[in-house]
Amino acid sequence: MAEMQNSNPTILNVADLPTRSRSTVKSADYGNGIFAAVANPADFLSSDSEDDDLLEEPIDEQEIYDLIKTISDPEHPLSLGELAVVSLPDIFIKPTLPNVPESPLQTVTVLITPTITHCSLATVIGLGVRVRLEQSLPPRFRVDVRIKEGTHSTGDEVNKQLGDKERVAAALENGALMQVIAKMMETCQ
Amino acid sequence: MAEPRISLISDLTPPSLERTWLTAPHPTLPIVATCSSDKTVRVYSLTNFKLLSTITGGHKRSVRTCAWKPHVQGESVLATGSFDATVGIWRRWDSYRNNEAINGDEQDVTGSNADEDEEWRFAVLLDGHDSEVKSVSWSPSGMLLATCARDKSIWIWEDLDDGDNNFETVAVMQEHGGDVKCVAWHPVEECLASGGYDDTIRLWREDLDDWGQVACIKKHEGTVWFLNWEGPETMPASESSDLQNQWQEQRALSGPRLVSCSDDRTVRVWCRLPKETSQPGMSSSAATGIPSIIRPSGTDETWEEDALLPHAHELAIYAVAWSQKTGLIASVGADGRIVVYEERLVAPSPDSDAMETEPSTRPSLQTEWAILAVFDGAHGIYEMNHVAWANRADRGSEGAAEEILVTTADDGSVKVWSLQR
Repeated sequence: MAEMQNSNPTILNVADLPTRSRSTVKSADYGNGIFAAVANPADFLSSDSEDDDLLEEPIDEQEIYDLIKTISDPEHPLSLGELAVVSLPDIFIKPTLPNVPESPLQTVTVLITPTITHCSLATVIGLGVRVRLEQSLPPRFRVDVRIKEGTHSTGDEVNKQLGDKERVAAALENGALMQVIAKMMETCQ
Repeated sequence: MAEPRISLISDLTPPSLERTWLTAPHPTLPIVATCSSDKTVRVYSLTNFKLLSTITGGHKRSVRTCAWKPHVQGESVLATGSFDATVGIWRRWDSYRNNEAINGDEQDVTGSNADEDEEWRFAVLLDGHDSEVKSVSWSPSGMLLATCARDKSIWIWEDLDDGDNNFETVAVMQEHGGDVKCVAWHPVEECLASGGYDDTIRLWREDLDDWGQVACIKKHEGTVWFLNWEGPETMPASESSDLQNQWQEQRALSGPRLVSCSDDRTVRVWCRLPKETSQPGMSSSAATGIPSIIRPSGTDETWEEDALLPHAHELAIYAVAWSQKTGLIASVGADGRIVVYEERLVAPSPDSDAMETEPSTRPSLQTEWAILAVFDGAHGIYEMNHVAWANRADRGSEGAAEEILVTTADDGSVKVWSLQR
């Protein structure tokens, strides 16, 4: 990392990154949403576990994006969201076993766009995204992180590494590599 | 006849709380060893499904793999392979045999664990690999140990059995183009199979004191995660014993087959072409990629795809197990599904004229593989890393003929299943 590979990346303004604008949604919900019919929302929340399951907020693409957009680039003092390495339209959530409707398994696919096509840090960035999601999401999610087609010279090679469970597991036990990953995560809440 | 069904017998308890990679059933005793990311190996009883002892302190990272040495009298010898790049050899006198816990009479064995742990003697650390060890396998005689790693190499060690725990490096093979994920010895011959990150399966034999590659199979379109050999004595299912006899004669020429599973979501069976019938036109270099001028062509073998098993997995398949007793194959993987397949002999149709198809060296007798049973979500939402067949031991002697499946998963759980037919 002695020499920067891409010294002049395109940067997006944080204010322009896609958000859910939570505050407005929430206040609206309290007035007219599901809680309106309940005298005391706290009672409703503490009801039996079946109801709690129904209340579980489904995890959507925006939430995945929010989890990974704040990861720092290992090379620039910028986030993966600002550098458009990750972007909302390149995140997909699908049932893992479409033929087994009762299966709770879901696959999160994140396509990564490296800032330059020969970026040797693509694997580290991909690993960071995968680790972040595996640590944040419930275990029923299968995480699939890959390089967006045509955006990297050795994309297939990087994808194979990122998809290799055994290599990822071994990487998590590698102190030096995990220090780099931990540094990238410092900017995540 | 009722529909074949996979049903849970028990969990092994208490489980590891971290990912468990593999479970190795002991060759003779009703015990299994399980390898965990928590750097330990747990030994459980298959009689009461309780923890017997925990092997700790040997490895600095995940224990990825282990294998019991066959044909050891009065003692159990276990080889363990770890992400710390080393292979450990452990020994323990077979006192489990007299232990009440193994007979299932004693409910509580946890109290004696502290003492039991100490009975595992660390014998030797085999140091040679540069990176994570992925798989270890003992040869059928127990004389040779094969190990493989992310450093793309396979090492063959000879156990000198000199009472001093000395091992000698017999060979280092570096032909694989990526991590070697698995090694597995032929059940009878000194022939080693390996598979890996370069999507290939390779076969290795000793020729004039030199270990060399005798075949390279390039058909999988993803990492080859696991290999297992057919038992020397099993047969496909058939109503006709005549057909089975005929099939056995054919099989005698080519020997046990090999099954592989891959990231490409396929399970495939491979068969060696009998030497006598190898096509003279086929260049030996096609098999190994090595010009025959360098290698004597006499050692090269031609391995063909014998069967592509019915598609049954949606994600990577991490392990496959070929029952040495029943000939059934089981596979598991990231989709959390156990699948059991059965091979059946196809009665030759009187109309089919051998001349219609191209002249071939394939045996005329055909088999087909059918899915016998499927179990979804075997470990809940967790991925499964390994499956093995073992002898059922929890119901006394009448269960001796029955086999169980042992599956190993990411949440650390290990489950024991029966296949009801």
